[in-house]
Amino acid sequence: MVDGAAEARVDRALVARVLLSDDRAAFEQLVRRHQGMVRAQLRRLLHGDVATADDLAQETFLLAWRKLAQFRGEARFSTWLYRIAYSCFLQASRKTPLPIDRAGEGEAERLPASEEATDLQLDFERAMRRLSKAEQTVLLHCVQMELSHEEAAYVLAMPLGTVKTHATRGKAKLKTWLAAWHEAARVEEAS
Amino acid sequence: MNPSQDAMIDALLRKQFDGPALDEGFSRRVMQRLPQRRRRVAWPVWGGILVGAVACWLALLFSPAVDAGWHDCLGGHWSAPAVTLLLAMLGMAVLALAWGVAEADDC
Repeated sequence: MVDGAAEARVDRALVARVLLSDDRAAFEQLVRRHQGMVRAQLRRLLHGDVATADDLAQETFLLAWRKLAQFRGEARFSTWLYRIAYSCFLQASRKTPLPIDRAGEGEAERLPASEEATDLQLDFERAMRRLSKAEQTVLLHCVQMELSHEEAAYVLAMPLGTVKTHATRGKAKLKTWLAAWHEAARVEEAS
Repeated sequence: MNPSQDAMIDALLRKQFDGPALDEGFSRRVMQRLPQRRRRVAWPVWGGILVGAVACWLALLFSPAVDAGWHDCLGGHWSAPAVTLLLAMLGMAVLALAWGVAEADDC
C-alpha cells in the first residue's frame, strides 16, 4: 500500500521546488503523478466524454501552474487539484451544457433484476444514472476516488453535512433499487 | 442499511470506476502548453492603492456634502449626505469583498 503521508510530503517538496526556482521538471513530475486520477475524475463527471475530460484536465494543470503559490498545503496536493478540476468542470458546464446521461429518470422505483452476474453491473450502471447529480458526484469522490468526507466537502465546496447526507441517501437509493439482487445473493448463500 | 449491503454497494461502485487514466502523452502536451511563470511584483498594486486613496481624499477634501455627511454620521442624524456616505462606504466594502473572493477562487 502506498503511504499517503509520504506521497503528500513528496508533493509538497515538488511544489516548493517549483515555487522557489521555477523548476518545470518538478511541475512535470507533479503532472505525471496526478494526471491519471484528475482525468479519471473528469471522465466520470462527464460520463465518459474522454476528449472534453482531457481538455478540462489540461486546463486544470495550467491553472494549477498559474495559481501554485495559492497552494498552502492545508489539503493534500491531489485534493487541491481535484477541487480545481471540479471547478473547471462546473464552469464548462455553465458555459455549454455538457452531455448528461439522464436515462432511467422517472422509471418505477424498483429495477428488474437480471439473472446473469454481469447484468448486476448493468443494473447498477442504470441505478447510478438515476441518482441525483449531487449524489452521483459525492459517491464518485467519497467511494470511487476514496476521499474522506472532509476532503470531498473541500473538493466540491459543499458543507460536510450535505456531503454525508448525499452519500447516505445515494447508497440507500442504490440499495432499494438493487434489492432484488440482495435477495438473490441471500438465497444463494442460504442454499 | 446493514454492513454487508453497504459493502456490496461500495464494491460495485469501486468496480464501476475505471481508475487512473494512462498518461499516453498527456503530461508532455501539458508541459508544451505551460507558459512562463510571471513573477508577481507587489509594488504596482500598493502604488495604485496609495495613488487612488490620495486622489480620492483630495477630491473629497473640500466637498461640503462629505463634510456634512460625516458630521451627521457622528451626530447620529440620518440625513441624505450621511446615508449617501454610508452607502458609498458599503459599496466599496462589497467591491473589496468581491475582489477578494475572485482572487481566492481556484478556477
